[in-house]
Parts: sequence; C-alpha cells; structure tokens
Amino acid sequence: MKDRIKNLNKYSHIIYLLVMLALLGLFFTNDFGIVDIHKTSLIVAVGIDPAGEEVQVTAQIAVPQPSQSGENVQYTEVQGSGLTVADALNEINAKTGTYPKLLFCKLILLGEGCQKNELFKTLGCFYRRNFSELTALVAMCKGKAQEMLEMPANIAPENSLALQKVLSEELKKSANVSSVDLKKLAETNYSVSEACYMPYIEANVQGTSQSGGNGDDVGGESPDSSGGQQGGGSGGGSGEGGGQQSGQGGQSGGSPQSGGQQGGQTVEFTARKTAVFSGGKFAGILDEQQAFALNVLKNSVNLAIVPADAEGVHYTVGLKSTSGGVKLKVKDGVPEATFSFKAKAQIQGARVVLDPETAMHDDVVSPEVLRATEAELQRRMEDLIKTCAETNCDVLGIKDLLHKYNYKYFEAFKDDILTRMKVNFKIQIGSVS
Amino acid sequence: MSGITDMKISVRQICFIMLAYTAVSKFILYPTALSFNSGRDLLFSSLIDFLIQGVIIWAVSFLCSRTDKTFFKLIEGTLGKVVARIIYGLFALFFIVATVIPLFEQKVYVQAIFYDTIPSLLIFLPFFAFSVYAACKGFKNIGRCADVCLPLFLVSMLFIFAMSLGEVNWQHFFPVLKTPLNKVFGGSLITAFRFVEPCWLLMFMGHFEYKKHDALKITLSYAGGALFTLLVLATFYGIYGDIAASRQFAISKISLFFPAIELIGRIDLIALYILEAVMLFALVINIQFAVHCIIKCTGYGNRAVLSLAVNGVLLIMLIFLNNSLDALLGIWSQWMWIAFVIFANIIPLLAWTMRKRDKNEG
Amino acid sequence: MITLEKNVKSVKDVLTSEDIIVFEFDSLGGKKFAAIYADGVADKQLLGELVAKPLRAVEKDASLDEVKKLLASPEVKDGSKIPDAIKEVSDGNAVLFVDGEKNFFIIGLKKPPGRTVAEPPTQVTVKGPREGFTEDIKTNLGLVRKRLKSEKLQIKMLKTGKRSDTAVALVYIDGVCPEGLPERIEKQIADNEIDMVPDSSYVAHFISKKPRSLFKRNGTSEKPDIFCAKVSEGRVGLIVDGSPIALTVPYMLTEDFQTGEDYYAMSYRSTILRILRVMALFVGLFLPAIYVSSQLFKIQLIPFKLLLKISSSIAGLPLSPSVEMFLVLFVLEVLNEASIRMPKYVALALSVVGALVLGDTAVQAGIISTPAIIIIAFSAICLYLTPDLVETTTTLRWIYLIIAGSIGPFGIVLFSAFLVCYLVSEQSYGVPLLAPFAPLIKNDLYDSMVKANMYALKNRPEAFKVKDKVRLKSK
Repeated sequence: MKDRIKNLNKYSHIIYLLVMLALLGLFFTNDFGIVDIHKTSLIVAVGIDPAGEEVQVTAQIAVPQPSQSGENVQYTEVQGSGLTVADALNEINAKTGTYPKLLFCKLILLGEGCQKNELFKTLGCFYRRNFSELTALVAMCKGKAQEMLEMPANIAPENSLALQKVLSEELKKSANVSSVDLKKLAETNYSVSEACYMPYIEANVQGTSQSGGNGDDVGGESPDSSGGQQGGGSGGGSGEGGGQQSGQGGQSGGSPQSGGQQGGQTVEFTARKTAVFSGGKFAGILDEQQAFALNVLKNSVNLAIVPADAEGVHYTVGLKSTSGGVKLKVKDGVPEATFSFKAKAQIQGARVVLDPETAMHDDVVSPEVLRATEAELQRRMEDLIKTCAETNCDVLGIKDLLHKYNYKYFEAFKDDILTRMKVNFKIQIGSVS
Repeated sequence: MSGITDMKISVRQICFIMLAYTAVSKFILYPTALSFNSGRDLLFSSLIDFLIQGVIIWAVSFLCSRTDKTFFKLIEGTLGKVVARIIYGLFALFFIVATVIPLFEQKVYVQAIFYDTIPSLLIFLPFFAFSVYAACKGFKNIGRCADVCLPLFLVSMLFIFAMSLGEVNWQHFFPVLKTPLNKVFGGSLITAFRFVEPCWLLMFMGHFEYKKHDALKITLSYAGGALFTLLVLATFYGIYGDIAASRQFAISKISLFFPAIELIGRIDLIALYILEAVMLFALVINIQFAVHCIIKCTGYGNRAVLSLAVNGVLLIMLIFLNNSLDALLGIWSQWMWIAFVIFANIIPLLAWTMRKRDKNEG
Repeated sequence: MITLEKNVKSVKDVLTSEDIIVFEFDSLGGKKFAAIYADGVADKQLLGELVAKPLRAVEKDASLDEVKKLLASPEVKDGSKIPDAIKEVSDGNAVLFVDGEKNFFIIGLKKPPGRTVAEPPTQVTVKGPREGFTEDIKTNLGLVRKRLKSEKLQIKMLKTGKRSDTAVALVYIDGVCPEGLPERIEKQIADNEIDMVPDSSYVAHFISKKPRSLFKRNGTSEKPDIFCAKVSEGRVGLIVDGSPIALTVPYMLTEDFQTGEDYYAMSYRSTILRILRVMALFVGLFLPAIYVSSQLFKIQLIPFKLLLKISSSIAGLPLSPSVEMFLVLFVLEVLNEASIRMPKYVALALSVVGALVLGDTAVQAGIISTPAIIIIAFSAICLYLTPDLVETTTTLRWIYLIIAGSIGPFGIVLFSAFLVCYLVSEQSYGVPLLAPFAPLIKNDLYDSMVKANMYALKNRPEAFKVKDKVRLKSK
C-alpha cells in the first residue's frame, strides 16, 4: 500500500509538470474562444427603432484610444438591423469586428416608432437568460432613438451620459422623472396590472425648451399637456441639431470640442413626461403633472417642487419628508382606493418682491398655501387616475393591490376596477416648522 | 491508526457542514425552479422540504446518542456484513447520482458568473483535478475544510445580503398561500432531489463523539442552513417578483441592484467567488462519500484509485451530456426524487430499527 | 611508555592541515606538555593565560590530577581516545597532552571569528529589543539564556553534517514542551547524513516531513526575544551553529502574520496591523491574477470608469494582457534578484535603471501599460508585509498568474480551494498548519489574526497540547 502511494508520489511530479506545461500553453496562446478586452466593444447605450419589419439598433460604443496619461475614449454610434435586436447586434459585431458586450449598457432608448410594437417583443432580447443584466435604464424618446443618440448634448461629453443624467436617481427622488430599469419594467408589466411606464425623453435645442417649463403651471395649463392621448407621433421633434449630427460619431471623452463649442446645435434633454404601456402595448404619454403624480405615488421622493396659487400670489412650494402611496379596500362590495400623500412644505419661491422679514419665516407656510398645495396635488392625481381609467392602463397598480390584499374580490373586480373604484384622497401637507 | 484518526470529525464541524453546505448547494437553480413551480409561495414549498429533512436529521443525530457505531456497523450488526456492503454499494451509487445535477449546475453557473462569454467545457474540467484530490481525503479533512468554509460563507452571505436586502419588495409575496396547494407541494416534491443532508449525517455516524445536546446543535445548524436558503429565496423573489422564474443563478442576481455597484463595479462578484469556493466543497462532499461507501462496500482501500474512478464516471457524464442539464433536471424532478426519498429520508429513519448495541454490551 | 611525541603524531597524522598548531612547552620542573589547536578558531591568548602560564610555573613533576587542578580554564574535560582529540581540535577547542600520559585534557577555548550582536536586518523593530542572533551558537545560546533563566530550560546539543560536524542546539522548556517532541526532532536530524550543514535551512529540511512542499513546516526567527517567547509557549527551538536564523517547531501558518512588535504595541494597533498583513497578502497574491483574468474573461470585475482608463492604457499594446503581466512580473523578479545580489553601489544604479529606464520607457514605447506596472509594484510591496512567507507567496503568485491567464477566475477559485484542502491536512509535528482556524481552536484565536490584550492570553496555545497550560496568572 505504502509502495503504491510512493509510486503515485513519484508520478505526481510528472503530473504537476504536465499540468503546468498545459497551463503555460493556454496562458501564452489564450486562444480558445475567449473574448478578451481587446476584442470587446463596450456598448454604453442602445437605441432601438423599428424599420419596417425589422428593428434598427444603434449602439453607442466606447472606443478607448491609446493613452498613457489616463482615460481617452471616443464614443461612436454603429447601426445594425435585423428581425430581432440580437440579429442587429450581430450585424454590429460584423461591422466592428469586436464582440458587443451589453454588460455595461446603461441605457436602452426606444424610438417613438416602437409605440406601434409590442414592448416585450422589442425588449425580449435583453431578458433572455443571461444575455445582459437587468440594470439598464429604459426610456422612450421623441423621434428616432438613433438621432437622439447622435445629438451633441450640452451637459455631458457624450449624450448617453447626458441622457442618463436626466434619468438619474436624484431626479427620480425629486419626482421629476419616472426612471425605470429593465427589471422594474418587466416586473410591472408581468404583474397582475399588466402595465408599465418609462420616461419619455425630448430633446430641445439649447434655450428653446418645448416641454412646458418646469411644471410650475397650476391647474393643468401646460402648453404641451397631452392628457395621455399622444399615441403615435412623428419623429420630427428630434431637435434641429439632431439630424445634422447624424453619422458624425461621438466626440472624444473629455474633448473640448464636444458640447458647448458647437454653440446653438447642442441640445438639452428632458424626461419629465412618461410613456405608459398596458398589456405590453403603448397606451399613451402622461404629461409632466400626471407624471409627477405618478412619481410621488410610486417612488420614494425626497424633495418635490409643487406650484401653488394662494392669496393671489404664485408660490413654489418645496415638499420634504414625503410619503405617498395607494391603498385599496373593498367596503360593502365597493372597491375604495385611497391615494395618500404626506409631506412637509417650505416656501422655495414666490412671485412677489422679497421681503427679508417674511422670508425669514419661509419655513412657516400659511394654511392657505398648504391647502392650495394639497389641492394642486389632488388635481394632478385626479388627472392621472382619470387618464388611467380612460386608457385602461393600470400604472398605479390598482389591480395588483386588489390581487395582493383583497384577493377574494379579485375575480369580481379585475376587469373594471379602474372605473368602478371609489377614489379617496388623503393628502396632508404640513409646514416644516 | 492514522486511518482511524483520518475519519474522525467533530460535532462542530458537522454543524458547520449542515449550516454552510446545506445552504450553498441550493443557491444556483433551486430558487428559479421553485419560483417557476410555486410562484410567490415558494418559501412554503421550501419550508416543507426543510421541515421534513430537519426532522430526519434530528432523528439521525439523536440515534447517534444511542450508539457509537457507524452506520455500516449498525447494518452489519443487524443484517449481516453482506447486506451492509450491498447497502453501502447502493449508497455509493446514490451519492454519485446526487452529484450529477449539482455538478451540471455548477458547470453552467461557473460559465455564467466567471466568464462574460460562454467558455468551452474545457474551462470547467480542472474541477475534477480538485475533486480527485479532495475525494482522496478522509472525514477529518472534510471537517477541517468546513472550519475554513463557514467563516467564508458567513462573510460572503453578509456581504451579499447587505447589497440586496434593500431592493426587496415584500409585496411580491402577496397574496400569501393563494397558489394552488398542489403547486406548493409539487414544488417541494420536484425539488426533493436536492436534499441529501440526512445521508451526510448517516455517513458521519460513529465517526464523531456524541455529547449531550449534540442532536439539538446539529438540528439547529441545519435550521440555520435552511434559514439562509429561505432568506436567499425570499430576497430573490422579493427582488424579481413574477419574473424570478426566468432568472437563473439566483445568488448572483440578487445583489446587482445595489446602488454603489454603479460606482465601484461588481464588487458582489468577489463575495460570489468566495462563496463559489464553499460551493465547490459542498459539491465534492458527495463524491467523498461515494468513495467512502465504495471502500466500505468493496474493502478496497486505495482512495486515490477509487477517487479517480468516481470522478472519471462523472467526467464522462459531463462530457457526453454537456448540454443536457434541462433534460437531466426533468428526469431528476420527475423520477429520481423517489430514490432521494428512499435514501435520504426512509433509510435514515429505518436506521432507528437497527440493533444499536452489541449482544455482549447488553 | 606513551610519549608525548607519539600522541601528537597520532593527531597530526590525521589533521595534516597547516593551520593545526602544536604548541609544546615545558614546566619549570621539566614536565613536557603539548597543546594542539586550530589556528584562528581557538583563542591563543587564553591558551597562554589559562593553560601554559600556570603549567610552566610548576616546579615538581606533577601528576595528571595535579595538572588538571592547575589549569585555569573553566571548561576542562578529560579525554582518552585520539579520535575524540581530533574532533575537539577540529571543533576549535585545544587538546593538551602531558608527557607520559595516555589521557589528555580538552580545553574549551573555541572562539571562532564572528560578528557582534546587532539588530537583525530581517526583523527590524521600532519598539522592543534590538538584539539579533549571530552566526555563533554560543553567543546565540547566551542570548537565549539571558532571557530564559528557568531551571527547566533544556539545551540539547546535537551534531549534524558528516564533514562540517555542525552543532545544533535543541532548546526547550521541560514540562512546557509537548512530551516526546524533542526526541522526535532529534531523531529526524539524526536520520539525515549530509556532508555539510552551512545554515539552519538545511536542518529545516531535515525536520520537515514534506521537504518538497511549498509551505514550510517550521517557524524562523532572527531575534532572541521572539525565539524565547515561542519556546516558552511550548515550541522547540533549534539554533544551528553558523546561522543567525533560529528555527522553531511546531509551526502554524498564522505565526508569520505576527511580529515581535505586535506584543509590545497596543493590542488594537496590533490587531489592525495583523489584519492589514492578511489583506495585503491576499491582495499581493491575487491582484495580478484577477487583473489578468478580468481582462481576459470577466470584464465586469473592473468598474466601468476604471475599465475605460485601463482600455485606454492597453489600447495598441502588442501583447495580450496575460503575456504583458507575465513580462512585468518577470522584470520585477529579475530586478529584485539583481538588487539583492549586486554590490550596493551598483544596486542603486540598478534601481534607477529598473524604475526609470525600463519602466517608464517601456510604457512610453507602448510595450507595457501603466496599470500593469502599478499592479505588480503594489503586489510586490504587499507580499513583503509578511517577509517570512515571501518565498511561498511569490511562487504562488506565479502559479496564480498562470492559472488566471489560462483558466480564468474559476481557476483562481479552484486553486484556492485546492490549497485550502491541502493545507487543512498538513501539520507540523502534530499541530495543524492552519490552526487555530482549521481545526477551530477558540481560545487560540485571541492570538491569531487578532491580538487580544495580555490578560486574554492567560493560557499557552491549545494547539500544542502542552502539559503546563497556564501562561499568566494574575490576581
């Protein structure tokens, strides 16, 4: 027995040697199908536009340039088309000679044309097993996604970064944008409510905002207020500079040529509107105020800005310590949805001449302003609920609530809960101090 | 003499195995399978399995307080040496069968989390070099590896949970228990083949010195392992909700949404890689038991040769059935669970009926 | 009649070398004496003072006993066999023959040339004793005796090396050291016959049961305070003549993460430093491997912004990431070796050539990238935080690098699992190498990766299974 073990030990050296030789062989050749950093193209954003029966995918690719003194990256857009997104990516692979990796893709931009297609037919590729992570942000844009990805942005050297900035978590926490990632999108779409939403991005030539200001209009007087009825739409609104920039490729990261130096041609992006989908189909676009209401009800908001007209003065009220949500109960056979929102208010601005003495008391908000703020919030929520009911798009997740917490009534109300439910509001705005 | 001490293990080490290995062996496709079968009530399906196994583990560990014999000696004393050898032969076969799915799962998991693009099977084959080496070792080695693995397991789990619990939406679990019961129980049944822990304890029987309350310690450790598994299941389903069934490799998917990942990259992968080391030991333990059973069955004592043989069989299976995990999962969940119920549940309970004392011991 | 000439001739016939001096002198009474010694090793001055001077003054024909009483040397032994005389002369002692006597005296006059006690270069301390072992075993034993005055301290003198006849002192404390351990070590040393033992590392091989292993089985120390502390914990120490590095067994891997200063500084600080050393070791070991495997197999391991920087650095490089790292590590090893072996004034120039010319120019020329140099440099620094393990860790770094470049991150994990599986089975004289972690020994954890305060370390390490367990009794 011991002899056998000794024999094994004798051979073990030869085995170790052979193993090391084999590993060294692999080490120096490393040519057994691996896709290393040299062969990879880093896709940072993807734009998807329908092109007849096919889809056209625009991949914004980071192309590192040789540099010994830090980062030097050029961003370029490459198009590919095919019957599926995967087909199109394959074409991109063929065009660039590198393997497109979506692992670092942080943005998926759907062109306006995608409104006509089933959402998850387009996005399905990203959910297939482990093709990519579900952390990428998804948004729909006005016009073609390709054009939007090619527009020079004013706030970041490459526009995918600028686009991500307008979808940022910080903006989401101020109820200005309804950012969602792939996971959240699928999660809501495949829930009982079968409804999902994503930000709707618009590009404006710098200084010529078309989006109805900053949502400070009280009483639904936004010039672009669409009331959720904007199905379809053209690609014409991609900004004056957009089309001209097409095909020029991105600019070098950190290059002073990008952004500001192109003067009037740079664009600014806004994503205060929200595209909503029901059953995977496009259902409409919520305007800024409806989107705001959706955000305060669905997301965790740290500071929201709401306009309020009281005592003949227009106030801009900041809402802190907010908590909002929807609850559903069935009372006496009638479903009752309670939309609640609680916050502490502080005056942030007013259309009156600043009086230092009164400004000192901005933390003490008068009851009139508080009531006006509550009324404004309620109005926005009512507007949102009305749109949801009209389009039968349950982005507020009412059916989900029915299913989760009132399961026994689910079968009875699931089809018409949005129109049948009694709506209550519980909005409590208090003064910060 | 050294042979005897090589087979000694301490109760602490058994507890560590029950805690860490139980959990890690269920982190790859088990959550996905349960999400698919039992939906939001997956925790109940899992709990059913864990409760059954927990009772059996308690029964076996309590049996250890009644006798210091090994399971082999127990059968030998009751049914004779030939039967004992046959049963150990069957157990060897069972352990090989019990390794198949975890091995294939491990392969796909490794390909997914260690590589950006699916690499060739060649990449996974070095596992067998490790497995051959590990299977040459006795229980003492298994125990000491568990000593190393437990802190690694706890640290990496802490890390992963810290990165993922904030993303959990507990509303995904509502309405509770509205999934049809046949689906809940069906979920338990078709994943039953993943529960072999009572067999581990059966193999350790007689190789450790039983002290008062050890049965409780072992059972509680198993409960700890179950708790970790349930937490991972809850986190996974709480994050993904209805789309959980389409997400594979649960443990690698739950920490993806941690906000800091945006800035510092996939640091969760470090924790996952540490956890992978524990997974490798958990996978190899079945092979180690298979070798142990063959030694008992045949009386042939050269572990190295037997380890090569067992690993050779698994290697051949892996090469020829490389892309057949789905088919294997179908067979295992539809038919093989019967074998698992017999070997992991019924036989351990039957051990109670065996003669625990020698005649001359009174 | 045994003549003096005959005795001297017997020795000189064997020790023919010219440095073996025969010093013959007569007493006033006419008695003839001959002292034989090895020039340069024995102390001539003492021979004159303590041996020749008193004996010359004798006026009568003194007997052998009277001669012995007259010898002023404190170390006088009787001898009767010529081979013993030859051995002692070779060892540096003097042999005194008396005319007409078969027996002789061995006079301990060994004083080999050597350096004085100084601070050891490998274990520098800021706080704490600065004495270090020298190459002289007697000096070293003196340094040990100075610290361990216990009557239980045992020093067993052994000899090893067929030609060198090197002295090895086995140092242990009776009643503290595990029973039978000194005898086992003695047997291990006796079982090996070798021409020469120039250094303690030879003895380390003798006492290691797996000399081919990548992991050593004994602790090393150049400082008597650490050596004594280890001996008083229950270990056996070995001091080898001609080597300033003393050995201790049993050995646990965790020892090499500890320094003498840990015991002199605050326990909190010591704990932080120990954790730092562990982390540094893992970083040093894995960083080059992870860097290579992330570029080849798993880009996601690198944060996106860093990835862009790395991509910029490596864009246009003619080498693959693995070969690049291999090359940089190769250059580091060459520079390292050269800086140790070269004369100091050249070494300075070498560092300039290495750092500036090779590194900077290679980057400028686009042969290697800056991140690769940073990673290898940092890895090298990290590994030197545990200098006693550096032979093992630098070898392992190569292995990990090759595995990372061939199998990828899975290979790194797999090889680590293999190492764990291997190390948990390994032991040094019955003490598991990974103790107190595997097997877990709760009480010993207080002086492992953490350093608890002195009062928490009341007992000696349980891993050694010592008889006298209590180290500290406090009221």
